[in-house]
Amino acid sequence: MGQFMIKVGLEVNGKKIQKEVPEHTLLSTFLREHLNLTGTHVGCDTSQCGACVVHVDGKSIKSCTALAADLNGSKVKTIEGLVKNGKMHPMQEAFKKLHGLQCGFCTPGMVMSAIDLLEHNSNPSDKEIRDWLEGNICRCTGYQNIVAAVKEAATKM
Amino acid sequence: MASLVGSRVERKEDKKLLTGRGKYTADVTFAHQTYAYFIRSPHARAEIKKVDFSKAIKAPGVVSVLTGKDIVDDKIGGLIAGWRIKSEDGSDMKVPPHPPLASETVNYVGDHVAVVIAESLDEARNAADLVKVDYKVLKAVVDTSDAMKSDQIYKDIPKNLCFDWLLGDRAKVKEAFDKADKVIKIDLINNRLVPNAMEPRAANADYNPSTEEITLYTTSQNPHLARIIISAFNGVAPENKLRVIAPDVGGGFGSKIYPYAEEVVCSWAAKKNRKTSKMGCG
Ligand code: FES
Ligand code: FES
Repeated sequence: MGQFMIKVGLEVNGKKIQKEVPEHTLLSTFLREHLNLTGTHVGCDTSQCGACVVHVDGKSIKSCTALAADLNGSKVKTIEGLVKNGKMHPMQEAFKKLHGLQCGFCTPGMVMSAIDLLEHNSNPSDKEIRDWLEGNICRCTGYQNIVAAVKEAATKM
Repeated sequence: MASLVGSRVERKEDKKLLTGRGKYTADVTFAHQTYAYFIRSPHARAEIKKVDFSKAIKAPGVVSVLTGKDIVDDKIGGLIAGWRIKSEDGSDMKVPPHPPLASETVNYVGDHVAVVIAESLDEARNAADLVKVDYKVLKAVVDTSDAMKSDQIYKDIPKNLCFDWLLGDRAKVKEAFDKADKVIKIDLINNRLVPNAMEPRAANADYNPSTEEITLYTTSQNPHLARIIISAFNGVAPENKLRVIAPDVGGGFGSKIYPYAEEVVCSWAAKKNRKTSKMGCG
């Protein structure tokens, strides 16, 4: 059972990366195990929970369901790439201010999804926020404060 | 300082959790990390006839394959029921054996039978496919209401009865019912509760051969309890040679109070292989 290796070239959080990895390497594994970017979480590995959401070429996707090799040449942004000059992104600030997290396990995926929403809909209704975040499960917060945080971030972004 | 009552208190941990700088158990990786992949029962109840891992042990990257026999040989204790109930007749509840790796029977789908430890998770998973477990499938008991009339599962537990519990005063209750105008009988069904946190269970144990100390990282609501149970009941190491660390924990809701077979096996395997062992999914 030899492993077939494949070259993967990506831009991750603004940095060009070249790695040779087993061809079946998922983007989530590539980020966590090969780049040590452990802010992207794996809650289910089966595309159900959304803890693994990152941006690929500006769109939010579930990184547990994408092969790293398929994305050759893409730009990837993870939760670690949001802080600029030591300042958190308005979405991160809003989550902090409005208590949009407890254990923090769903949070990176939640934040990445929510930013994608605001980038194409700058003033979403509660329903639009809830519909958009349907693929992100949180077991701690009860969602109210997450929705409130996204609304707050919409006024700042 | 403003009064704490009525004022906002920001949480200290939020910034790291929001910026991807938290450290959950699965984020911990040691140098020379090895990976554990568990082989589990596909049957609700079966006898284990034979575990053949002769091919798996030769597969690339494999460090060791451990089975229930090794658990017995090393005198590793079973998982405990952390609650003691007495039946109405005063007898103790009957607790069946629940070894961290089964050697005689499996009693639910997912019961742990063997573990493959390899240099990567892929290699452990591939080698696990080569382990052949020969089962004699037995009739399972799946319904509590029929359990006492079903096949007896454990040798020493007649009628599959763990305990017959009474709370309150039987005589007084009877008297009240006897006097009642009308008595209605209903069956009460209590839904099964699943405390399902977003962070799956995870464990990573490191063994230092020079100090003979095990350090277990585990996603736990109660690392002190894990330490006592894994040392005093499972006998993996004396308490002063076992350190249990719960780093950031991604929810628990009660399910992470108690240590499970995988934490015991990872700690024991790390010591046995004189290496680290991290639990993979499966
Ligand atoms: S880990 Fe990708 S959706 Fe759950
Ligand atoms: S904050 Fe714990 S799962 Fe969302």
